[in-house]
Order: sequence, then structure tokens, then C-alpha cells
Amino acid sequence: MLLQGKIDSSYTKVGIVGVPPVDIIRQCNQHDVEIFDLDEPLVKAPLDTTAPYVPQVYCAILRTAVQNGLHLTNLDAIFIDVGSGKCDCAAHIATILEDILSIPVFFTKNQDSVDFGTPICQSNLPLLEKLQTITHRVKLAEMPKNNPPAVQAKAGFWGVPPRDFSILELFPATTHVFGWTRCMENKTPDNVKLEALYNADIPTVFFAQSFCAKTATAQFLAQKHPHGLYLDIDVTASSSAKSKIQAFLELSGAMP
Amino acid sequence: MILGDFGTSYAKFLDISDPGAVPKILETKSLEQDTIVDLATGHNGKRFGHEVVNELTALGRGGASLIPDPHFILLDCGSRDIKYVEFKNGKLENMGWNAECGASMGFTIELLEHYYNLDYTQLQVPDKTFSVTCGVLGMSHIFDAVVTGVPVDEAVAMFVKGIALNAFRFANAPKKLYLSGGLCDNPLFVASFPCEVVPLGRFVLLEGLKNTLNTK
Repeated sequence: MLLQGKIDSSYTKVGIVGVPPVDIIRQCNQHDVEIFDLDEPLVKAPLDTTAPYVPQVYCAILRTAVQNGLHLTNLDAIFIDVGSGKCDCAAHIATILEDILSIPVFFTKNQDSVDFGTPICQSNLPLLEKLQTITHRVKLAEMPKNNPPAVQAKAGFWGVPPRDFSILELFPATTHVFGWTRCMENKTPDNVKLEALYNADIPTVFFAQSFCAKTATAQFLAQKHPHGLYLDIDVTASSSAKSKIQAFLELSGAMP
Repeated sequence: MILGDFGTSYAKFLDISDPGAVPKILETKSLEQDTIVDLATGHNGKRFGHEVVNELTALGRGGASLIPDPHFILLDCGSRDIKYVEFKNGKLENMGWNAECGASMGFTIELLEHYYNLDYTQLQVPDKTFSVTCGVLGMSHIFDAVVTGVPVDEAVAMFVKGIALNAFRFANAPKKLYLSGGLCDNPLFVASFPCEVVPLGRFVLLEGLKNTLNTK
């Protein structure tokens, strides 16, 4: 098991899973190492190609990480966060990737506590663009100075970036982002207090990936919230899941 | 202006430009391909509507129009799925849509009625029930029971009661339940709920469409 790790001068392309410590990201940026976020769907190969290594009833994000690891053959190394800022399942996936891949797989434990701020979570960008920006910025050690203006919130999205980003198109641009996605933007993925934050004054969808441990927190917070909807989705969102989001936002007045 | 609720098995229409008009029902399978209405909802709404309203939204708005109580749980049992909305103080509190585990329950009840030539007005609510989470899987309970000597009508009644109990739990086991959909007309189904049931009939979603127009 390779712990934390450093960027070798020969590396040109590395994969990340979760949010590795900003020091790793900074080294990549300084050495012009291209970063691939393996949590996102990056290859066209079917997700089922991971079945020999990962059960099909498993977090779709981590199955995607394995799928990318198998098919992105030009990576020099993978940095996978296995601390409490990611999840226990990531540690198991790291062990599997280390065994089946021929490149170094570094196990990181991100305990960064410097707040980088959450301007995108509260910005006027459409929700899809908010999450695209936040996930893109995971690859940057420095926060860009120019940010879109903030918007008054009419709805909330709590949770991790979903495997299926299409659900984000259902929300208004006046949606603020909470949960682990906000921790991502703040570059403090292990900040449990920040993750549990929500705005009780706005209708909020509490989302988690099916089979993720965060489903318990999502359901718990949705019940505590005066106007919350709990939702878990696996690989792709069904029409009924999308309809639930749409109706929740319409009936709660967040959407016209 | 024509409103349409295009369910899996039945389509309901209302012409709101005629003040005295009553809703009409047609089998969805009999609809002409070029059927088009001004505002639609339901599983097939996108096929037949110029504009479409989400089914849960239509259910919630229909409930808000028809139910005077500011606190209510309204359950819609359709051919294909079950869904509910819960309002508190006139605002949406909770909701659910079960298209997978609640699949085809209404469709199966009608299928059994025709296959066994049953009259649901004549069937008694049984003491026992089947554990039913899906119409298709539930049918195997009926066949198994019939093989062991249980009369067909009793086995079907146990199946219907199982569906009602499943729908009741799905709607968070309320003391009072408002019911929407074609199964409102099935006295065995309505009587199988272990709570007070207020059947609102088949046209709640059409009422939700009317409400949608009024709020535009």
C-alpha cells in the first residue's frame, strides 16, 4: 500500500478518486500533470465491465472509478482518497485497483482544514454548471478569483455530485448547493459540520447515490428539514425519480 | 380547451370550454395516433399533449382543489404505479412515486377480474392476505393458493387486500386516506384498507390540470 505519495517528475497524467489533499493537486499543477477525475464517466466502455472486480450492487461512482481505471491505459498513477472525507468503500476499491492495475495507486487521507470558500455553491449559475465547475475545480490547487455573482436561494441541492448529472437540469438556477459537494468546493471533504449544513427556509432535495453510506445522512437530514425530499439514484435516474424532483420543486413553489 | 389525463390503461378527457361538460373515459389502447389535447398529464401525456404537466404535480394540485382539509394524504393507484402526496397546512410535506415495486398492481387487478370473470362488488374482504409488492409477482401467490384448494375468489381477494396494505404502508400508514384513480370504483380494494378511505374518483388529475390553468 502506497500512502499519500508524491508526484514523480516523469508523470504526465494521473487519475484521482474523491478529493486528494490539495498538496497533491498543487504538485500536479506545478508540474503540468493532467488530472483525470475518475469519479466521472470518462470512457464509453459499459459499466458492467467492472463486474469481475466489483459487485454490481455497489456505489455507481466507485464502479465508475474502476471502469475508468481499467480503460484509461495512459495514466501514470492514481491518487485515491480513502479517508473519512471520502468513504470506507473507496478504501476497498483502492485495494482492488492496486491489485488489478500495473501503475502505482496511492492511498491518501485528506484532512485539509483550510477553507477555500463556496462561491459557486451560492452563485447564479444553472445547477448543472455549478456542479461542473465545482468538480472541475477539484483539479486546481488555487481558487480562481473571478466568480459569478451570488443568487438568493429558492431551492437547495444537498449531496454528492451524482453519477447522472441530468437530474441537475431539473433545478432552477436559484438552487444553492449543500452537503459533500459544498465540502468539495471548500476543499475540506472531511468537514462533517459543513456537510451537515442546510438551509431550512428553502425546499431541498437530499440526494445520495444508491448503496452509499451517505444515504443514511441524506434520509436523516431530509426528515429533519421542514421541507426536504430524500432521493437516492443508482447509475442513471429513472423517469419516476426525475418526476419526483420536478413535482417537488413545482409543488413547493421553487419552480413556476 | 381540452384537458387529458393519459394513463396506462385509460385516458380521461375534459372540455373546459363547455361549462356543463363531464369528463369522458376511453381506453388508451383505442386512442387514435393523432389524438392531441391542449394540456395533458399521465404516463402517456407527452405523446398526446401540446403541454404536459408532471403527474405528481397534477395529483398535488388536484388534491389541493378537491380536499378542504389543509392536512391530507392523497394516494393515486393507477394501472402501472402508485404515488402519493402529503400536504400539511396547505403545503407539500411529503411525496412518493413507486413505479418499480408497485408495478402493475391496478393493471393486474383488472386482468384478474376479466380472466376469472369476477365481480368485485360481491367479494368479501378476507381475514388473511398475501404479501404483495408487485402485481406480477403477486399473481404467483394466487396460483399457488388455488392449487392448494383455496377458492379463486378468495385468493384474488387476498391478493387485492395485499395490494391495498402495500399501498397503505407506501403512503406512510395514515389514519385517513384520500384515494384517487380507477380503483376508487372497486369496493373490495377500498374496503381492504385498514384506515378511513375517502374515494375521490378517477378525475383528480384532470382537476389538477384545471388548477394548473388557474394558477398560470
